[in-house]
Amino acid sequence: MLGKLSFRNAKRQAKDYVIYFITIVIAVALLFSFNSIAVSSDIAELSSSMKDFSQVIFGINLLIVFVMAWLVNYTMRFMLEKRSKEFGTYEILGIEKKDISKMFTIENLIIGMLAFVVGTAFGCLVYQVFTSIIMNIFEQPYQIAIVFDWKAVQTTALCFFCMFVLVLLNSRRKIKKTKVHDLLYADKQNENNRIQNAKGNVALFVISIILFLIGLFVLNLDYADVDKMDGKETMIAIVMFITGVYLFYRSISSFIVKRYLENKTRKYQKNHLFLYRNLTSKINTMSTTLGTIAMLFAFIMIGGNVALLMNGMLNNEIAMGYPFEIMVSSLDGDFSKYREYIEKNAKVTDWYEYQTYYISKTNVHKALEGTTFEERFDDELDTVLDLKDYNRLREMLGYESVSLKEDEVIVQCMKSAEKLFVDYAKKNHKIEMLGKEIKIKEVRAEHLSQLGFNGYMYCIVVSDAVLEEIENRGLKVEKPSYNDIYKLVVQTEETTTEAFYNGLSEYLVYDELEQTTIIDGEEQHFMVNIALGNVSTRGNRMTQVKSFYTMISFLAFYVALIFVMATATILAIQQLSDSEKYKYRYELLKKLGMEEQGIRKTILKQILFYFCLPMLIPVLISIPAVLIVGQIFTVAVTVGEIWKNMVVVIGIFGLVYGIYFVATDVQFERNIEI
Amino acid sequence: MKKILKVEQIQKFYGNKDNLTKAIDEISFDVEEGEFIGIMGASGSGKTTLLNCISTIDTVSAGHIYLENQDITEIKEEDIAQFRRKNLGFIFQDFNLLDTLTIEENIALILTINQVPEKEIDTRILEIAKKLGIEEILNKYPYQVSGGQKQRCAACRAIVNNPKIILADEPTGSLDSKSARQLLEIIENMNQNMKATILMVTHDPVSASYCNKILFLKDGKIFNKIQKGEKTRKDFYHEILDVLALLGGEQNDVR
Repeated sequence: MLGKLSFRNAKRQAKDYVIYFITIVIAVALLFSFNSIAVSSDIAELSSSMKDFSQVIFGINLLIVFVMAWLVNYTMRFMLEKRSKEFGTYEILGIEKKDISKMFTIENLIIGMLAFVVGTAFGCLVYQVFTSIIMNIFEQPYQIAIVFDWKAVQTTALCFFCMFVLVLLNSRRKIKKTKVHDLLYADKQNENNRIQNAKGNVALFVISIILFLIGLFVLNLDYADVDKMDGKETMIAIVMFITGVYLFYRSISSFIVKRYLENKTRKYQKNHLFLYRNLTSKINTMSTTLGTIAMLFAFIMIGGNVALLMNGMLNNEIAMGYPFEIMVSSLDGDFSKYREYIEKNAKVTDWYEYQTYYISKTNVHKALEGTTFEERFDDELDTVLDLKDYNRLREMLGYESVSLKEDEVIVQCMKSAEKLFVDYAKKNHKIEMLGKEIKIKEVRAEHLSQLGFNGYMYCIVVSDAVLEEIENRGLKVEKPSYNDIYKLVVQTEETTTEAFYNGLSEYLVYDELEQTTIIDGEEQHFMVNIALGNVSTRGNRMTQVKSFYTMISFLAFYVALIFVMATATILAIQQLSDSEKYKYRYELLKKLGMEEQGIRKTILKQILFYFCLPMLIPVLISIPAVLIVGQIFTVAVTVGEIWKNMVVVIGIFGLVYGIYFVATDVQFERNIEI
Repeated sequence: MKKILKVEQIQKFYGNKDNLTKAIDEISFDVEEGEFIGIMGASGSGKTTLLNCISTIDTVSAGHIYLENQDITEIKEEDIAQFRRKNLGFIFQDFNLLDTLTIEENIALILTINQVPEKEIDTRILEIAKKLGIEEILNKYPYQVSGGQKQRCAACRAIVNNPKIILADEPTGSLDSKSARQLLEIIENMNQNMKATILMVTHDPVSASYCNKILFLKDGKIFNKIQKGEKTRKDFYHEILDVLALLGGEQNDVR
């Protein structure tokens, strides 16, 4: 009998559970699809580093379970409240509490199982989409096939039921504790109107703002100087932000009261009175939840941005550091073995062997003085390229060739430092070199691998005449520490593979080299096994970057989506439960003669305000915080790209959030039946 | 005396053809300006339905209701809200105050909906509040005051906008007898000194005895009408009791 009753109830409550149900389904679908990816052999085979992916996913699942448990617990509490009268009636009719809580459990199990089944099925589809995206990233052919991995199902089920059992135990305890009176009159209970010390709260509000500002300042200390970065300041800043967020949401309502409700002229304008009183009382009771939601948002925003920055940096690094498919350098200039291997294993379209020269440091490096680039720049030498070689390299990459007069040089630099060099060249037209001054013709910033292959950060391109002079004067440094002199660059028809790279690196020659290091003021000599030269291929690097890219973006997407959904669901449920609980407020407005249009507008404003509020602080904090943290990426990522990322993150985030917002608004209006 | 409300042959049916309930069955009456009229009847007699029809919360099935020559049964859906806030004042049984607003703000709400200039709002509230004796609790929240005070606040809200007619639905229903009496004196005061026209639905004879005229409803029809005239409240009360006895004591009920 009881079973039948609860089954019927579950069916009847379906409408109320819709948002909750959909959220659980999506969460299960994501949980399942990511678990499937984690155990998929297809994906693990893509590259060596993709294997770490699965471990990270299992770790992140733990986090997800907690967030989901929070969400489900919240919804359960809401459902309990909503059905308090029903349970109260059961109790009055003489059904025992034990049985009521059993019934509630059965009901939720039915819904939970249903959500699980639907979610898993949906997850299969999502998995297909994700896999094809990943395969596409790696440019691998992929055929859609229904894959149903039992290990993934098991993991998902385990996560899901851990969460569910925890929450159910909690609600059973809650049912046992409540009294019949409370159940029957739950809807008569008012919002917890704590009469607060307004003055103290305004002080708290100011303190929270100050905490944010100091937090940003402290954060900047850590990231402004990368070499001294130890994370201590970051920790302090995080603690300040967290404290600030909770203080902020505790005190914001007092601020609104002060701003909008103490001044009677402002208070009685339009519908301010109803709107702000409703909001402040809600914020008062919800301050902790709002604070937590805001923290999750901030976490998503900063995390998402940093993940995108990392991707951006890696992608830029490929463009900057790997203009050629294959780049080999050596100390002796014998490339025959390499060439043999390359010819055998790849279709070569073009290749070129050349030599770089080194001279003692000129004044060009001064362009980097006082910037973040300076710290990484401790080479004793400047790299010099002959114009002939330079033009040949340009030709291979499809750039137009350049010319130089005898007494001119070109400074070829990295894109990210272009502005510094251009500014420097404007002020200093000359370069001091070979004891005389030579004119800087121009600064160029095409990607010609100034990431170490042809100089680091920049190299100097000289005319044949100058080069001759360098050779004549004996300024050419023969074995400049580990700088390899001879270079081979190759372009191929197709991108090379990880295996190709592994094969090519076999030909590297290693040598024992004596190295001197000063430890505790004493010179110490030891031998190191060092490669005489270097091999790098774009294909190999790309595989690595893609693995990383896939990992980071999928994980960021996964976590962010679940967080946003969880938080938006909670906000939506909050508003919708209020729409039923406080239906009479809107009915009263209608009876008092407020137009439907006006009521709709008030509701829209109320929900908009309510949805924006927990987003306010995260957006305001994350923008400067990302700019600050972004400083460590500026070698490879421009500030413009950082902003672009920010817009993307906020945009995607806003989109998902917006869907919930619209759904809430529509359902809210439906609930109060205006 | 000017006729302010004219109810003409109104009917209100619920249900379908096979199972028709006539909540109101051809009721007609007039209300003159400054009258305090009571509507009495047992549960299910149609008194709340009648009030709802007059207050435009419900629509009639047939007939017309005129408020100062305007047929309110013909008002377009989009104009109803405006009509309501300009012409009607409400007092409900369960106060219907918003718990998030102070007493003062609850009264101000109707004025802001009517777009009364912000500067006027304060003075108008204070003026009415003094008359109704609630100026001391203006800054309190509804949960901090007694039921009687809440209902006085509701009465204040009903009259502050100078409506043409105040509709009160069982205003004493949630009050103890002492608070009820105080409230009725206030409503009487609103009627006599502030010239408010009041239509009150009640089933309590004590409350009804404050009215000048009473309509008794039974099964959707007007069963009887009595006037207070020059009678004392006590005499009027007894007259009401007599009618009620008649109303409840139909022969076929007792066998």
